[in-house]
Amino acid sequence: MSTPRSWQERPGRRIRLRRDRSLLIMVVPAVVLLLVFNYAPLFGLLTAFQYYDPLAGVWNSDWAGFDQFHRLFADPLFWGALKNTLYLSLVQLVLFFPIPIALALLLNSVLSGRMRNFIQSVVYLPHFFSWVLVITIFQQLLGGAGALNQFLRSHDLQTWDITTNPSTFVLLVTSQVVWKEAGWGIVVFLAALSAVNPGLYEAAAVDGAGRFRRMWHITLPGLRGVIVLMLVLRLGNALSVGFEQFLIQRDAVGHESAEVLDTYAFYYGIATADYSLGAAAGLFKSVISLLLIWGANKLAHCFGEDGLYRR
Amino acid sequence: MRPELNRRSFVAIAAATPLLAACGGAARQKAGTNTRAGLRAALPSYVPSGSVTPDIPSLAGGAGAATDPAFLAYPASRVATVQGTPGRGGSYTAVTPLWGTVPPAGNSFYEAMDKALGVTLTMKPADGNNYNTVVPTMTAARRLPDWIQLPTWWNSIFNVGGLAGTQLADLTPYLAGDKIKRYPNLAAIPTGAWQTGAWGDKLYGIPSFSSDFVIAGAVFHRRDVLQAKGITADQVRSADDLMNLGRELTDAKRGVWAFDDVWTYLFPAWDVPLTWDVRDGRLIHKYEMPQFFEALDWHHRMARAGYLHPDAAAGQNANADTRFYSGKVLISGGGSGAWNLADHQSGTAADKDYRRGAFDFFAADGTSAPRVAMGPSTNVISYLNNRLKPDQIEELLAVADYLAAPFGSAEYTMVNFGVEGVHFTMKDGVPTATEDGKKFVQAMTFPFLASPPAVISNPGAGIVTRDYAAWQAANVKALYKPVFWNTNISMPQSLSAASAAQAVEDAIKDCYHGRTKVSEVQAAVSTWKTGGGDRLTQWMTDNVLSKYGTGQ
Repeated sequence: MSTPRSWQERPGRRIRLRRDRSLLIMVVPAVVLLLVFNYAPLFGLLTAFQYYDPLAGVWNSDWAGFDQFHRLFADPLFWGALKNTLYLSLVQLVLFFPIPIALALLLNSVLSGRMRNFIQSVVYLPHFFSWVLVITIFQQLLGGAGALNQFLRSHDLQTWDITTNPSTFVLLVTSQVVWKEAGWGIVVFLAALSAVNPGLYEAAAVDGAGRFRRMWHITLPGLRGVIVLMLVLRLGNALSVGFEQFLIQRDAVGHESAEVLDTYAFYYGIATADYSLGAAAGLFKSVISLLLIWGANKLAHCFGEDGLYRR
Repeated sequence: MRPELNRRSFVAIAAATPLLAACGGAARQKAGTNTRAGLRAALPSYVPSGSVTPDIPSLAGGAGAATDPAFLAYPASRVATVQGTPGRGGSYTAVTPLWGTVPPAGNSFYEAMDKALGVTLTMKPADGNNYNTVVPTMTAARRLPDWIQLPTWWNSIFNVGGLAGTQLADLTPYLAGDKIKRYPNLAAIPTGAWQTGAWGDKLYGIPSFSSDFVIAGAVFHRRDVLQAKGITADQVRSADDLMNLGRELTDAKRGVWAFDDVWTYLFPAWDVPLTWDVRDGRLIHKYEMPQFFEALDWHHRMARAGYLHPDAAAGQNANADTRFYSGKVLISGGGSGAWNLADHQSGTAADKDYRRGAFDFFAADGTSAPRVAMGPSTNVISYLNNRLKPDQIEELLAVADYLAAPFGSAEYTMVNFGVEGVHFTMKDGVPTATEDGKKFVQAMTFPFLASPPAVISNPGAGIVTRDYAAWQAANVKALYKPVFWNTNISMPQSLSAASAAQAVEDAIKDCYHGRTKVSEVQAAVSTWKTGGGDRLTQWMTDNVLSKYGTGQ
């Protein structure tokens, strides 16, 4: 079986353009969206180096050099927010990240297709709830006047402070994330699972491999590329643990436990009209995120994985 | 590592900016604080309107405070106060904040209003909850509409001092002194309210809902529930009384807690000013006063004792009203605007006996005379665009005059209820919205551009009017003019963070929710002082107090 010539020799640019025309046209809206909403706003980063005054505009505001960064780094509240962000991110990585994988494996082992679809719909429904709703549900169930504590109270038992306890806040928010997002997270892994060749399972079964061995030697290796990709993306987002979830619950546990970089930029940048400080905090976050994603991708390549792209 | 090199390269870029600035062309001066003499020249004369007589007349207190006149029934004869149509056919757009559902554009009410006003006024209500982030994008792009409402509590975020004269029109030539008499309904708005719209000795704003009884709010209670227990509001004469009442009312097992958040409305009882006060000739911030921490301590103890509803302690404010209506909370702080017809309707829907009451102002120690700082005469000011031509400004001022027609007049009825037979019908002397009225008129749109001085009126719920008017009358003597009352201050941007004092306010909230000790707030205050608070006090002393006095 001989391969056609065109697959061996790269055709000219014009021919490729003509060949991929419809694909390229389909990509245009996404590129425009990216340019308008992701690249054009980069211009606003200038304000991080200014004493930005919205009335004077970017061109007429006084330049500050690195003053805003000096202010930022001298602010203990900023370091508190950074510490919280990293801590929350780490805990979520350990406690949240494996759950969708485990769920996907479990679901994959359910034989009845209808049952599988039903379970999948149920677990990913919460993804479509807003954070306000999720937190209200948690408050109604676990809050100081919620169902659990009213039950304890009516039986003269010690009440259990869950929603306003700063020291266990990290577990509370992680469980909220698990409840809301774990179901949605399995979609990618299920897609990867469906790509595993069923013939491999049959062959392994014939060779006498049990359930666990098949999972260990076929399913997990099949998922590895996707898991590494998700892990790299996750690390790149390590400094974005969410905004609304913390904004809403900030008053419940106090800023010392609930302040993350995004809420810091909101309260000390936007809400007090100190836009330049907010921009500086945002820029700092982006730079660190870029370094993290670059580092994680590099690490993935070292282990022979694809990471974000094939080397 | 101080980046001198970078700084220099930035200077080079900065030097090139004037070339680039040609397209922006922004001026950076800020209209400053008003002087006494300058204000006198700019402010309009006050000619009260006598066209409608209230059922309960206004009662004067001290320091220029007075209760709002009250109407038990909607005036039967709706007198016309404007001759002909005010407009001459111009087309304008207006933006106002709206806390509610935005009515559809081009609806029958807007059309009827346009016809009555004689202009095409395109109303573009914007969501009130993020209005503070919408307006700066308009001002940064220099794209303000012809007429815009800027609530005063966002003055520093919007930099109104900087907008005055550059993007907002100077109304002094049209309204100063007796010139306002061309617009009799505007002339009937008291002078104090106009002062809140004056910047740098010039008049810019048109006030809505002006009142001589403006307070931060009150500590409300469920009068029906307390009365059933044989408790009346006048039994609470001190902070200790209130704490004891909290103990008596709390029954956590039944899911009832005495208190929702009350801090914002109760701290003045410890003789704490809203922000500033002058003691022994020195300007002092409330954070530096010992009684401020006494107030905080009381709230902290109250929360620790378990009298505060757990959802309130968890910062869940969105359903505070529900807690109050369902009787899960019996005492709750709130703005005085909470005491109205809508509240009565929601409350009685949840519990037919529902009746809102408020504690009289008291001094925490129970012996001193109660003192409560008056707020600015209005918080709602609209401005005209600087690009408008003089005859356009005159046309819109005539429209504002129509919108400011007194309560119960033909124009007021049109602005607030729409066309009789289409948007409302009279039922037992009460204007009652039709389906169209509910859809199109209910929302607060036109009154946010201009409206007559506030009155107390709750058609169909006389009990609310009587209760609230009686409470105002009993408390008007406690009101005093605080320092910098009705004074507009343009602060440099660098002080805005110190002025907002986010970190201290966070610590205060944690403390009155019972989570952190008073000492932690004290620590936050000393950090605030060194990190800008002392500079703020100094700036206020040098640039406001010594130059313009206390404004009292």
